[in-house]
Amino acid sequence: MASTKTYTAIFVVLMALSTTQAAVEWLGFLEDYYWETLGVIMVLSTMKALAVAGYYMHLRDEPRSITYVAMAGLIGFLALTAGASYSII
Amino acid sequence: MGDLPPRSSVKRWLVTTNHKDIGILYLLTSVFFLVVAGVLALLIRIQLLQSGGTILSDAGYNQVVTSHGFLMIFWFLSPFAFGFANYFVPLQIGADDLAFPRLNAMSYWLYLFSGVLVLGSFFQGATFMGGWTAYAPLNVPSYIPDFGQVGSFATILALIAFIGSVTIGSVNFLTTIYRMRAKGLRMRDIPLFSISILVTVWMMLFAFAAYLAALIILSSDHLLHTSFFALETGSGPEATDSGSLLWTHIFWFFGHPEVYIVFFPALGVLGEMVQTFSGRRLVGRKWFIIAMALVGIQSFIVWMHHMFLTAISLEIKTVMMVTTVAISLPFDLMVFSLIYTMIKGKIRWKTPFLFSLGALVIFIIGGITGVFLGAIVLDYSFRGTYWVVAHFHYVMASSAVILIGAVYYWFPKMTGKMYNEFLGKVHFAMAFIGFNLLYFPMFIVWETPRRIFHYNSGFTMWHQTATAGAFLFAASFLVMFYNLAKSLYSDRHVGESPWSYVASPEWAVSSPPPLENFPGKPSFASGELNFLDRAETDGGVEDAATDGGVEETLAPPEEHADHASWWPFLTASSVVLTGFGLAGLSVSHFVWPFLFAIPAFVAALGVHGARQDGFAQIHGIYMMLSFPLLALFFIFFHIGIGIGELASMSAYFWAALVGAVWGAYTLAGIGYESFEVPEPKMAEQWPFESVENTKLGMWTFIASDIIVFGAFIGAYIFTRIEYGWQEWWKLAKDPAAHTMAEQALEHHPVLPGLINTYLLLASSFTVVLALSAARRTEDYSIGPFSISNRSATVTFLGLTFGGAAFFLVNKGIEWVDLFVHQGWTFGVDVMSSTFYLTTGMHALHVIIGMLVMLFLIARAWTGAYVGEGEDASTIEYFGLYWHFVDIVWLFLFPLFYIL
Ligand SMILES: [Cu+2]
Repeated sequence: MASTKTYTAIFVVLMALSTTQAAVEWLGFLEDYYWETLGVIMVLSTMKALAVAGYYMHLRDEPRSITYVAMAGLIGFLALTAGASYSII
Repeated sequence: MGDLPPRSSVKRWLVTTNHKDIGILYLLTSVFFLVVAGVLALLIRIQLLQSGGTILSDAGYNQVVTSHGFLMIFWFLSPFAFGFANYFVPLQIGADDLAFPRLNAMSYWLYLFSGVLVLGSFFQGATFMGGWTAYAPLNVPSYIPDFGQVGSFATILALIAFIGSVTIGSVNFLTTIYRMRAKGLRMRDIPLFSISILVTVWMMLFAFAAYLAALIILSSDHLLHTSFFALETGSGPEATDSGSLLWTHIFWFFGHPEVYIVFFPALGVLGEMVQTFSGRRLVGRKWFIIAMALVGIQSFIVWMHHMFLTAISLEIKTVMMVTTVAISLPFDLMVFSLIYTMIKGKIRWKTPFLFSLGALVIFIIGGITGVFLGAIVLDYSFRGTYWVVAHFHYVMASSAVILIGAVYYWFPKMTGKMYNEFLGKVHFAMAFIGFNLLYFPMFIVWETPRRIFHYNSGFTMWHQTATAGAFLFAASFLVMFYNLAKSLYSDRHVGESPWSYVASPEWAVSSPPPLENFPGKPSFASGELNFLDRAETDGGVEDAATDGGVEETLAPPEEHADHASWWPFLTASSVVLTGFGLAGLSVSHFVWPFLFAIPAFVAALGVHGARQDGFAQIHGIYMMLSFPLLALFFIFFHIGIGIGELASMSAYFWAALVGAVWGAYTLAGIGYESFEVPEPKMAEQWPFESVENTKLGMWTFIASDIIVFGAFIGAYIFTRIEYGWQEWWKLAKDPAAHTMAEQALEHHPVLPGLINTYLLLASSFTVVLALSAARRTEDYSIGPFSISNRSATVTFLGLTFGGAAFFLVNKGIEWVDLFVHQGWTFGVDVMSSTFYLTTGMHALHVIIGMLVMLFLIARAWTGAYVGEGEDASTIEYFGLYWHFVDIVWLFLFPLFYIL
């Protein structure tokens, strides 16, 4: 386990990134640059998810095989969503 | 808890957690469902004796066709294979039992009781009538006749319970096969059957998760009247049945892998039987296994070959046609490997081999006719005809035929008695002739429309031939039942192995195997798993194969794993009443039985906890707390429904209430029992050496839950794209068209979502702190104050619970505002449907997490997780779940509140 200090730092970063996401909407970026802003917001969510998975779920300290198990689920989700969405575009 | 009663006692079978007992229970139960589904099949064939039908009404025929499919695929084929898997996987990999024996019992009982629910649905008006594929919109209430509403929903709920069983089973087998192998048994050397089960459970874990999501969404269409699967977007000639398309996507994302989920265990036994009766190792065994794994992965990227006649684009159809043709290539390799092994070997024409060979012929016919269907242009003609019916029966039934062969193959091992070889051969002859007489004519009169009992009267002779074949096929099973029953009480005893050439370790122990499986500690440390013949097994190959460690061969079995438990049976039984009742409840009534179950759960945590850990204040607090909680829900009930209405509540309400309370009480009971058995001290555990069993189990469960949530989010993205991604909010702002949504929008700002993000993140943080507190060696001290680790752990868990509670309160305020004040109810539009259901599904995860937290707090209070020799890992495993729920929200927040 990492130190309580690290966990606290991660927590602060997570809160800050969440606030940033909301701020982006409040500042009206979505009105003018919808897809760019969508990209930024999703990247921020992904960063937060990686921080939670890496530190709080301590995937960093587990054998890689555990990460692959989770990745398999993620890839399944992406295959379904991308395949289904692509089929109707 | 206690030791197992003898097998002659009924109680033994209700409380057992032993894998061999549960294997036998699975086998017997699935044979029962085979008989039921087989009788339904005979009814179909009788109906088809002449065009226009003979004995069944329209609705009756639809019910029979649908439930025949459901029961054969879900309640017979897979559980039948998993009966063998339960019995033989631990024996084949040198384990004493599965990793989680109680969860294994839970899987079985959920399977049984979900089956009871589905059989019961016939008596709730009518069972589901829309075919086993349950295509939308035939699966939503507005397309189901009134008399079929309750039974149809009960069928859907039964499927959900069944998937509960499947998911628990998958997690269990994955953990077992990865973590419980005997010393020296490398992954690649695992016997073929166990390898095939490994590939199967991987597919199960992900495929059934997608199906579960589809069924939960469907349940919401039934119960909450959301509009997912009946949705049409656009208008006029541009209109698309987006809802139907969404169902087909998720269903076949599950459905195609499901074909291999059914077939692979059979393929594994087939490999073993071909080896045994050819007297040689499978040719190209390594490539056989690689091909199997490849098919397992590929099976998730071919699903749209079931959708060639829908509105999906030609580009994606072409892609799927290519991947479909590609998936037949590894199968060719496997088939050739089997055939070549037979050619190179010296065949012994025993009954199991006859079934193997017969099944291979059947499978090849099924496979080749399937390639026709995989071609887009041909599928335009073949879809919805008896070509399809014949094709998939050749494929699916080939696995049944193999598994019947496996019954003969393993019967001597499981009973210690030999079956009658002559009657076995008679069974095979009748089955093989009957089967082909039944299904081959369907290729000839393929123009018969599927699921309809009107056909070109020129086909009558062929259909009557098929019916005759069906009865011959059915009768062949009577020969088997007679043979096996007679043999069981005969005195034809067998030793370790009745076959002169065997390839897997289950043949090295006595028949039937002893309760603890092995006389000593099995080890394969000599390097390779050798092929054994009878002479060697008599000498005790296990001994010969150990690496000289005396303690391995002579040490007594590790701590006895076979503890009896009533809880799996009792907990799973609640599914019947709950499902039966829920099926008949309306949107305004369904939630109350579950709310009232919460105080019952809290009280039960106190009662069971006091019994298990000795009475502590926390148990008293829980018992006392349940009363005001109950009073609170009564007040809510009075506001929502009115106490006076209780007198006129339907039987459905009371059934659901009793079922839910019973479920809550028993779940609390099972929580206090340890799920794990002691982990083996010497085991081959690549690639999960340093991951404890429960942690691996939790991660595999999370992986499947990623698919469940993924399918929800995927459904949202798909629907929104179909609707017009950016139109989503704009259309909602059109005051004329969507007044309520427009109002909802104004009151649906980012803020509640952001607050909830903060709350969940904070609760994740406090779980981490709770774990560090439990694992600390020194107490906290701040100035003159010092706080014990126990108190700190309880405090941080309590804070986590508080964060979650605030999350729900905040969500509740938001929902009440949208729902009551704005009138933006579940089914107002597609936006409200996706919003409520997806975030609601997440909220359900939060609630489940909170209930688990109550349990953790009670345990932490009694000091369970702190101090030397105590294990805080339970908090860690719970934390994994909780952080995962947090991560899901990190994506729901932008998707539903910002973008
Ligand atoms: Cu398919």
